[in-house]
Amino acid sequence: MASGGASVDRLHGSTDVRLERLKGRLFEIALVAATLVGIVSLVVLFGYIAFDTFQPLTASIQWYLIYIGTLVTPTAAFTLYARRHPPIREANAKAFAVIGGALLVSLVTYIVADALDPYDVLLYVLFGAIPPAVIGAYARRSPDRTYTGPAVVVSTLVGIALAAGLYGVLRPIVGIIAQWVAYVGIVTLPVGAIVAQSVSRRWSLRRAALAVALVLVGTLAVAVGALVAGIEPSLPVVLFSGAVVPIGYVVGDTVANEPEGRIGVLGPFVLIGSVALGAFIERSVGVQGPESYLTPSLLLNSWHGRNAFEAGIYPQLVGSIVIVGFMSLLAFPVAIGAAVYLEEYVSDSGWRGRLATLLEVNISNLAGVPSVVYGLLGLALFRNTLGFGTGVVIAAAGTLGFLILPIVIVSAQEALRSVPDSLRQAAYGMGASRWQTLRTVVIPEAFPGILTGTILALARAIGETAPLVIIAVATTTYTSPDGLFSTAAALPLQIFAARSHPDPAFRHGIVPATAVVLLILMLMMNTTAILLRNRYDRDTHE
Amino acid sequence: MSEHERTQTQPSTVDAESTVGEDEQSTGARTVIEARDVSVYYGQEQALQDVDLEIPRRQVTAIIGPSGCGKSTFLRCINRMNDLVDAARVDGRLRFDGTDVYGPEVDPVALRRRVGMVFQHPNPFPKSIYDNVAYGLRIHGRTDELDERVERALQRAALFEEVSDQLEKSALALSGGQQQRLCIARCLAVDPEIILMDEPASALDPVATSKIEDLIESLAEEYTVIIVTHNMQQAARISDQTAVFLTGGELAEYDDTDTIFEDPDSQRVEDYITGKFG
Ligand SMILES: Nc1ncnc2c1ncn2[C@@H]1O[C@H](COP(=O)(O)OP(=O)(O)O)[C@@H](O)[C@H]1O
Ligand SMILES: [Mg+2]
Repeated sequence: MASGGASVDRLHGSTDVRLERLKGRLFEIALVAATLVGIVSLVVLFGYIAFDTFQPLTASIQWYLIYIGTLVTPTAAFTLYARRHPPIREANAKAFAVIGGALLVSLVTYIVADALDPYDVLLYVLFGAIPPAVIGAYARRSPDRTYTGPAVVVSTLVGIALAAGLYGVLRPIVGIIAQWVAYVGIVTLPVGAIVAQSVSRRWSLRRAALAVALVLVGTLAVAVGALVAGIEPSLPVVLFSGAVVPIGYVVGDTVANEPEGRIGVLGPFVLIGSVALGAFIERSVGVQGPESYLTPSLLLNSWHGRNAFEAGIYPQLVGSIVIVGFMSLLAFPVAIGAAVYLEEYVSDSGWRGRLATLLEVNISNLAGVPSVVYGLLGLALFRNTLGFGTGVVIAAAGTLGFLILPIVIVSAQEALRSVPDSLRQAAYGMGASRWQTLRTVVIPEAFPGILTGTILALARAIGETAPLVIIAVATTTYTSPDGLFSTAAALPLQIFAARSHPDPAFRHGIVPATAVVLLILMLMMNTTAILLRNRYDRDTHE
Repeated sequence: MSEHERTQTQPSTVDAESTVGEDEQSTGARTVIEARDVSVYYGQEQALQDVDLEIPRRQVTAIIGPSGCGKSTFLRCINRMNDLVDAARVDGRLRFDGTDVYGPEVDPVALRRRVGMVFQHPNPFPKSIYDNVAYGLRIHGRTDELDERVERALQRAALFEEVSDQLEKSALALSGGQQQRLCIARCLAVDPEIILMDEPASALDPVATSKIEDLIESLAEEYTVIIVTHNMQQAARISDQTAVFLTGGELAEYDDTDTIFEDPDSQRVEDYITGKFG
């Protein structure tokens, strides 16, 4: 039968089918090759930079053996153990997050406040935070909260403006107190407030008062101890109230309330203990470690033009953080405001709709404008038009702010767009106004996405070099910026300057080491973004 | 429809006088929604044609018809959700308690506080169960006795027993049927007068559907329920009145449910109900 023969034919396959399959194979191989080329070249590049930075060949075999024994083995064993038990793994991750996060936040707070002058920072923090706190406390008692939201915003702005206006009068008054007391105001009080909030919500007001008293007394004890020992108490105070208190709270809470996973909190301590043990053995045996360029002195010293082992990038590190911090203050509200307007307010039709479409097209194009061009814009605006000094912090922050503005707008728009319309419908259907819908449903739902996009933009901005060169930020600086109008300093610029240093130790040691610092900063930002997003996804969408 | 007096609940702020005409004679206190020549256009396209309808208070009114015939459109006219669609335009007159819903002084936000809505797909907020039910009360600034009101709403939505010990849990962790009852509870918490339901059970399994149906029947004691459904048995089971919309957005017939299902006037409605098309 003819039809039977045809179906057998089809089952056996023909040259056509085989050819198609071969093409598919080849395509797959091409894809694998493309992926590998990208990844392998990146790995090689990073390996090369890391090799130059850490100089692994200069260390002796014994050094490696010591650290494999004290650091790698116990940490790996603990990690493997924790991974097999979900509650332990969770507690472990939490402990790492709180320890890393708290240390990082308090150190950054300290170095920024230290650079900008702690008294100034205290002044602005007090004037910016106390009015809204008072209004919030009042609103909690009164049933009518119609005006609370706007009042909080306005009072903060008024407070900051007041502090700026009365600066001449207030600064000398604030200046009477000891420096560490200023840090108590900047770090201890906010931490105390957060602890109080958390404790009172979970247990009772009495316990909250007790906890706050404990924090204050502890801080005081640390300060007195430091004074007695003859150390300047500022950093100990910040580390105690900014890191020890939150770490103690979270770790203690986990140990007390999560019996299944409590072992997990040991993770970070195992790591720290192993490093300390390794260092101790290394010191006492006297083995030769690697002659790494990434040392504490690189992070803590000022720049040194002649000796590579004395050169440090502290001013640049602080400068980069300060610039990016001010930049987010400038760009974040503007970008999010624009995104919310374009996404939620503008109608699709009419002249406004057309205007919005035009704007959106332009914004996506702006995201691709070369950063050098933004440098020119910054130069024209901040120096030539507004007459700010050459290469000052505010000019750098503003220029980078323009640079990331379109990126943040686009990512915030995407985050808003990903909020399902059914949620808006639900809110409107309940009789919520547009503002209420935005505030209670849309923005909270879009917020992690907005935050992720923003942090990624910050990570991009911290590495930008060209626009800073154009606005004439000094490539080599010896002091950290101490205010909005002081000369800026930035890590990528120092890399750029050291690259042309006559001494090869600078070109092949300091440059990669600084690049590693920059990469680590960027990685930390990206990790934060990912952690925030995952955490939020788990919290609300389980 | 013997009473001719106006209801006391009529809002005094809204100028109803100008719209009161010859129709007033036919609208008694029993009628809560009255549609006269309501037409809706999406751009050039007409989705509803001259719909005339009077919906009685505290009864279940079902709207049935083939898909795309404008059932949802009509429902969204009542609480002005169509305002959110840029292209939508509503003609004709639609009165709620005698007040023109599209009158210049009516605030759609205020209107929606009195006309609640439950959607086809359960759409709880990604918040806790408690916060979902309390949502309307909070945005309306009625935060006194919040716990009691939340509990009462959950009870009226026949959900309280199932969730009473997990009010702080995410609403998204509930099953589809529970989520839909939560949405009903959220709607009940603010004490609306009318509850609009757009195919509230179409995304649910049979057990959850029958729970929702029981719930709707019990709601009719206190509320006016207007429910869109594509399930004719459902309409026959739970409704007092049935409106049949047919393709093109015209109201083909509107009568007591029994009459519609046993002895419809028009041949097309009978064909539709007996499953000859649609
Ligand atoms: N937002 C909208 N924009 C444009 N056309 C719409 C919109 N919503 C509904 N329509 C159109 O109106 C008609 C009626 O839709 P709908 O009321 O949703 O019908 P049903 O709920 O009966 O299935 C359909 O032809 C649909 O395409
Ligand atoms: Mg529909």
